[in-house]
Amino acid sequence: MSTSSLSTSSDDELNSNRNPNPNTKPIDDELSLASITLTESNGNGSVNVNDQNACGQVEVDVEGPSSPTSSGYAGERGSSSEGTSNSRIDDDDEIREVINDDGFVDGVRDARAAPWMPGKRHVDEDDASISWRKRKKHFFILSHSGKPIYSRYGDEHKLAGFSATLQAIISFVENGGDRVKLVRAGNHQVVFLVKGPIYLVCISCTEEPYESLRGQLELLYGQMILILTKSVNRCFEKNPKFDMTPLLGGTDVVFSSLVHSFNWNPATFLHAYTCLPLAYATRQAAGAVLQDVADSGVLFALLMCKYKVVSLVGAQKASLHPDDMLLLSNFVMSSESFRTSESFSPICLPRYNPMAFLYAYVHYFDVDTYLMLLTTSSDAFYHLKDCRIRVETVLLKSNVLSEVQRSMLEGGMRVEDLPVDPLPRSYMSHRLSQHRLLTDSPERFRESTVGIGGPAGLWHFIYRSIYLDQYVSSEFSSPISSHQQQKRLYRAYQKLYSSMHDKGIGPHKTQFRRDENYALLCWVTQDFELYATFDPLADKALAIKICNRVCQWVKDVENEIFLQGASPFSW
Amino acid sequence: MASRRRMLLKVIILGDSGVGKTSLMNQYVNRKFSNQYKATIGADFLTKEVQFEDRLFTLQIWDTAGQERFQSLGVAFYRGADCCVLVYDVNVMKSFDNLNNWREEFLIQASPSDPENFPFVVLGNKIDVDGGNSRVVSEKKAKAWCASKGNIPYFETSAKEGFNVEAAFQCIAKNALKNEPEEEVYLPDTIDVGGGQQQRSSGCEC
Repeated sequence: MSTSSLSTSSDDELNSNRNPNPNTKPIDDELSLASITLTESNGNGSVNVNDQNACGQVEVDVEGPSSPTSSGYAGERGSSSEGTSNSRIDDDDEIREVINDDGFVDGVRDARAAPWMPGKRHVDEDDASISWRKRKKHFFILSHSGKPIYSRYGDEHKLAGFSATLQAIISFVENGGDRVKLVRAGNHQVVFLVKGPIYLVCISCTEEPYESLRGQLELLYGQMILILTKSVNRCFEKNPKFDMTPLLGGTDVVFSSLVHSFNWNPATFLHAYTCLPLAYATRQAAGAVLQDVADSGVLFALLMCKYKVVSLVGAQKASLHPDDMLLLSNFVMSSESFRTSESFSPICLPRYNPMAFLYAYVHYFDVDTYLMLLTTSSDAFYHLKDCRIRVETVLLKSNVLSEVQRSMLEGGMRVEDLPVDPLPRSYMSHRLSQHRLLTDSPERFRESTVGIGGPAGLWHFIYRSIYLDQYVSSEFSSPISSHQQQKRLYRAYQKLYSSMHDKGIGPHKTQFRRDENYALLCWVTQDFELYATFDPLADKALAIKICNRVCQWVKDVENEIFLQGASPFSW
Repeated sequence: MASRRRMLLKVIILGDSGVGKTSLMNQYVNRKFSNQYKATIGADFLTKEVQFEDRLFTLQIWDTAGQERFQSLGVAFYRGADCCVLVYDVNVMKSFDNLNNWREEFLIQASPSDPENFPFVVLGNKIDVDGGNSRVVSEKKAKAWCASKGNIPYFETSAKEGFNVEAAFQCIAKNALKNEPEEEVYLPDTIDVGGGQQQRSSGCEC
C-alpha cells in the first residue's frame, strides 16, 4: 500500500516540517497514505488539480505509515500503529461479544445482515460492569441535580452514582464561571452539552470528531424536546428535584433508534433530508393532494417512506427544518404503536417552536409508507382523519403508493450506472428510469462488477443540494456491502464533513484524501456538497473527472431524486 | 403505574471532616467498615436500592468532603436534593456546634422551595468509641437541638458496629417520600397560530 504514496511522501515531509503552525495541522487524525492539495478552479462545473494556489485550499499534510517519525504531528495522532491497523477502526459501538458480527464483515453482501434490535439493551449493567465499561459509545442525559434521565446502556437508577459524578464535573467547572466541552482521556472523548437544566454527555472511543459527537448530543436533546417541549425547563425552575423519567416513560426505544441512526443515516450529520426516487409526475401527484390538505388548516403534511420523503407540503410561510424531519420520522418509526392504528399525538418540532406542542396525525398506508399531518389544533383528529381518507383515495387512484413500493424495492442511484461516456442529454436524463425498466436483466451485469463498484473505482457518493436542503446517497456498491463497512464509511464521511466545515481552519472547497480504506474526495460549492468514495488505489485525476460526471448525473435526474419547488425552507 | 414507579432520591451527607460520613455510607451500602481514615476528595457517589412500604427507591448518596476547602462545590452539589443528612461525632463538641452552620449553608445553597419542612436527618456517630466514655455531646442535648429545628429525626449510630445505620437510612427514605411533591399534570402550550408565530392561520381558501 505504501507504494501509492511514494510520489508524494517526500513533499509531505517537507510540508509538515515547514509548517509548525498548529492551524495547518491535519484536518483529520486519520492516517493517510498520500496527500494532495486541490483547489477549486472556479464555481461552475469542474474540479481541477492545482497545486499551488491561493484561497480556500486544503492542505492535507500527512505521512506514510512507514515513516512515523518524519512529522511532528505523529504525537497528536497517537502512535502510528494505531492509525495503520485496520482492525482498530470501529465497526461497532458494541463491544465485540458476538463473534459472528466480525465474521460477517466480508462475507455477507446484504446491508441488513446484522439486524439492529430496537430498544434498550444490557439493562442489567451498571458502571461497575466490565462489559459496560468496554462499550465504545455511551450517551447520557441527566438533570442539573445529577439525576439520571437516560442512558444508552445500563439501568439509569443503577447508574445514579455515575450520573452524579458527571453532574459534579459539569457543575464544578460552571462554578468557576467556565464551561466544560470536551475531556480527553486516553482513547476516550467525553463530550458535554448543557441545555439549561438538562445535561447531555457522550463518552466515546470511536474517534469521531468532537463536532460530530456534539451534533449527536444536539439531536438527542432535540429528540427529547420533540417528545416534551422545552416547557420541561419550567418544571425544573419550580422544583429542582423534578424527576423527568416518568414523563419520558416508554421512549427508550426512540432514543436508542436515534443513536443507532448516527451510524447509518447521513441526515444526522448533513442536516438535510433525502427523497425516495420517483418519477416527477408521481411526486407531483402526491404533492398536489398534500397541498390540497394543507390548504384546509394543516400546518405540515408529509408523506414518507421509512426515512425518505415522498412529498411534503407546508402551510404558507411555515418551514420545516431537516433536523425536525429526522427527529419526527425517528419518533414515528421507532414507536411500534404508530404502525398498528391511526394515531394523534402531541409532538414538538424543536426548530420550529421548541416551547409548544403541535399535534401529529399519523397513519401508515403500508408497512413502510406513512402520512403525517401536523396541526395546531388539539381537536382536529376527525378532520385529519377525513383528510387522510382523501389523500389515500387519491394516492391509490394515481398509483402513487405502488410506485413508492416499486421505488423502495429498486433502490436509488447505483455507482455502476454512472454514465461514463459523454452521452446525449436526452439519454442521460432517463438513465435512472431506464435502469428501472431493465431491472430484470442487469442481474448478470451487476454480478460481473462485484468487488469493483463504479467506473474509475467509484464506490459510493453523497450529493447534498444546499439550496434544497436535500441530499442523495448512492446505493452501496459491493466493496462496501457489509454493515460494518458502511458504518466505517459513514464515520469517514462525518470526519470529512466536520473537517470541511471546521471554523478554525475552514471552510474549504475541496479535499482529497487517501488512506488504506478509501480515496475520499469532497467538493463544496455554493450550490452543493459532494462526498465521493473511491477504491484506495484509484487514480486521482480520473476520480476528479468522475466526480464531475456524478454532479452532471445528479443534475440530469434531479427531478426524480429531489423534491423540487417545495423546499421546506420557502422563506 | 405512575404511583408505583421507582423513585430516585438525592441524599446529601454533610458534616465536619472526620465525623464518619464516608464510613456510615460504606457501612450502609457495602456493609464494610475500615478504621483507616481516608479523606474524601470533593465528593463520593454511591447508589443503594431500598424497599420501603412496598415501593422501590434508589438512593443516590452524595458523600461530601468535610474540609472547608471543598465547600466551594456549592450550589451544584446541593441542587435538587431530596434529603440532607447532617452528621456529627458525639465525641467532638465542635462537630456538633457546626451542625447549625451546615444546615444553614445547605438551605442557602440548595434554596429548597419549603425550607421549614425540608427533610433533614441528624446522625450522632461514633457512639462506640471508648465504650461511650469519651462522649461529650449528650443524647438529650442533640435531641433538643433537633426539636428546635422543626423536629429533625435523630439517630445515634456507630458506623463501625453498623448500629442504627439501616434504621437511619430507612428514615431518610421515609422522609423524602413524605416530602414528595404531588404529581402535576404536564401541560405545555400548544402553538397558537394566531399569535406572533411565523406562520399564519391557514383557513380554508376554497
